[in-house]
Amino acid sequence: MIKLPSPNIGKVSILVAILTWLSLLFVDITRIFGLLNQLESGVAPEVSFILEITFFIMVYIFYNHSIARNERNEFLNLIWRGASTGLLALGISLLIRLFYYLLGDSRLATDPLLKNFFYHINFALTTLFLISCTLLWKRLILYQKTKKIVQQWQAFEILLLVSMFFIFFNKNTLDYSFLFGLVFITIFSISLSVNLKWIPYLTFKEKWKSILFLVIILIATSYLFVEVLSYSDSKVILVNLTDNLFLIGLFSFVFFYSLFSFLVTLFNLPTSSVFEQKLIEAINFQRLSQSIKPGQSENQVLDILIDSCMSASYADAGWLELRNEMDESGFLHKRFIENEELHRLFGLINETKPFVNFDWEKEDNENKVYQGKIPHSLYKSALMVPLVVNQRTIGRIYLVKEVKDGFNKEMVNIISTFVGQACISVENYRLLNEAIKNERYKEELKIAQRVQRSLLPDTLHHDDNFDICGFSIAADEVGGDYYETQKLGENKFVLIIGDVSGKGTSAAFNMSQMKGIFHSLVQMNPRPSDFLLMANNALSQCLEKNHFITTSYFIIDTEKKSINYSRAGHCPTLYYNHKKQESEYLSIDGMGLGIVRSNLYKKFVHEKTFSFRPGDILVLYTDGIVEAKNSKGIEFGYERLKTVLNTSSDLNVEQIQNKIIQEVYKFIGKNRIADDDYSLMVIKFK
Amino acid sequence: MLNIEHIRKEGYSILQLSGEVDASNSVDLDAAIQEMLSEGINRILVDGSKLEYISSAGLGVFMSYLEEFKEKDIQLVIFGLLEKVQQVFVILGLDKLIIIKPNREEALQAIV
Repeated sequence: MIKLPSPNIGKVSILVAILTWLSLLFVDITRIFGLLNQLESGVAPEVSFILEITFFIMVYIFYNHSIARNERNEFLNLIWRGASTGLLALGISLLIRLFYYLLGDSRLATDPLLKNFFYHINFALTTLFLISCTLLWKRLILYQKTKKIVQQWQAFEILLLVSMFFIFFNKNTLDYSFLFGLVFITIFSISLSVNLKWIPYLTFKEKWKSILFLVIILIATSYLFVEVLSYSDSKVILVNLTDNLFLIGLFSFVFFYSLFSFLVTLFNLPTSSVFEQKLIEAINFQRLSQSIKPGQSENQVLDILIDSCMSASYADAGWLELRNEMDESGFLHKRFIENEELHRLFGLINETKPFVNFDWEKEDNENKVYQGKIPHSLYKSALMVPLVVNQRTIGRIYLVKEVKDGFNKEMVNIISTFVGQACISVENYRLLNEAIKNERYKEELKIAQRVQRSLLPDTLHHDDNFDICGFSIAADEVGGDYYETQKLGENKFVLIIGDVSGKGTSAAFNMSQMKGIFHSLVQMNPRPSDFLLMANNALSQCLEKNHFITTSYFIIDTEKKSINYSRAGHCPTLYYNHKKQESEYLSIDGMGLGIVRSNLYKKFVHEKTFSFRPGDILVLYTDGIVEAKNSKGIEFGYERLKTVLNTSSDLNVEQIQNKIIQEVYKFIGKNRIADDDYSLMVIKFK
Repeated sequence: MLNIEHIRKEGYSILQLSGEVDASNSVDLDAAIQEMLSEGINRILVDGSKLEYISSAGLGVFMSYLEEFKEKDIQLVIFGLLEKVQQVFVILGLDKLIIIKPNREEALQAIV
């Protein structure tokens, strides 16, 4: 079996059609020669009929294929295709007629060979025109197809196929069966011709064009029909091809569908603007409802809004009034109005009822529409709709018309829908921006958190005479707690713990300043009181006036077994005396850093020294520990901390630290989030 | 929650604080003191008897005015603090810079 690749169907069918037509011509010429030479050529008319049917089918296949392939065919293109084929068939037919007219009574005019040749040309072109139109109409009929229409069309095609073979039964006589067939096809055609759903989708201009094309098709159909009839009685034509029921049926179908289309298009002309308007409104609505894409701004939405509203209401002028954060009004997107006129009109409208009732501060401005007459020489009616975004009235849209009561209910409805949608778009846009901004802040805070984590020490300096561990957690992403150690010499170690006033980012910045100051000053190996004095001087220069830092500074000498310390407003350090088997807070006066920003600070700084023994424990902490509150508002407090240490003095430093943290969490309740920074450093002497 | 009440008296004003002063509402406390200063009040009693908690940010507010009070000869006395709140002032050393009295009578004597 020969496989026909599908793209060749068009070419093959047109080739076969041309060959069939040439054979038709050849058969006919043979017949004429036979007649002229009085020879019986023996070619039965059935041969012509079979060739004719083949020709019809091939042309049908060709057009079916070529129209289906052109998927993006628009209605107007389709109709133009039909009209142009019609013009061609009509033109050539007229040319033939003109040719015979010019020949006059010459011998050639009655030459049967020439006459038959031209008849075949006319036949071919008429067939092409009718079949192409039929298949174009098929496209139009099956636009917005339902199962019922498709079935109807398929039935029609079968009917047409049957009608091709009808010629074998009636042998070209106009009998009742022929008429019956024709009437049947005509009724079927008319019933198909009500499928005109494509017409409303034409624009006003397209409708005019399609009317023109349809008129061409109607003229071509009528003319060619008359022409075909004229051949019926002709004696010169030996085998009449055109009195075929198929062809006559197609005439009827093409004519009626064109006529219906023509009339419906014509009567649709006056209302086409309404349909177009609704289509534009739907498109505008879609544009408004699409969330604003990156790179676009609210402004573009408002731009679309005013254009949509203007076109929906046929307004003569319009503008937007927008309020900024400071409640100052500004005019935007002016349409068909000058600045000066706008200001005059704006004042006028807002002095007139009902516009005067508008109040920016009212909460129910959403979905409100103000419309009414205005005493203006040009503009007679006005419409104003407030724009409400996120429950705040951000502006108003104004539309004015030169006629009285210019805004009907439908317009008002569609405009308030537009406004609502635009406001939602703007709101979404703002929320999205905020979300992006917040996301960025979160990222920044994460970075800050990492940086700050790195400011707290990984390892704490110590030697064989004591163990040490530390811990810190911030209430927010970043905090203001600080602790660190430094080795000063073979047997000398410095411990510092600090707490910056406030919380969060500002505290974190000050904490890093404190770290810098510590690292600078510790190199000079200062006494604790000197350290505080110098740190106070340095911080006085850089801290904001309502910020301060509390700190405790310890120098541990493992050789002398002594602890030398000062306190600057920091929570008193807890000290466990192994010998006494009890702990107490180291009492020493001392003022926070940055509170007194002068040399007077010296008066408030003190320093003490004491000896430690193995088993003694030093607990440095920040106020987050003692001020941690439970759900009843009771603070963890100094006494509880003391008790915890007393009961866990035998444990090692990590265990003590964990015990304290556990106890604090147990006290405040597990579910509660810390609302302050906590830090802890535990030192146990050996 | 912080509630601030300004009670005007003959020759002085009482700033009554109830609730908690933390980082979020310390600006309100600052604004209240600022308002008193702009009214030209130069004798201020702070009634802390209903103050349950003060954070470092709250302490920072009092601290930030110390210098200005000294320059303009404005007296500020805090009285009636709960023990745990007073302890916060003491630990920080603010009791050395701000007069803190146990009750209103003593506070009144201090400002005369």
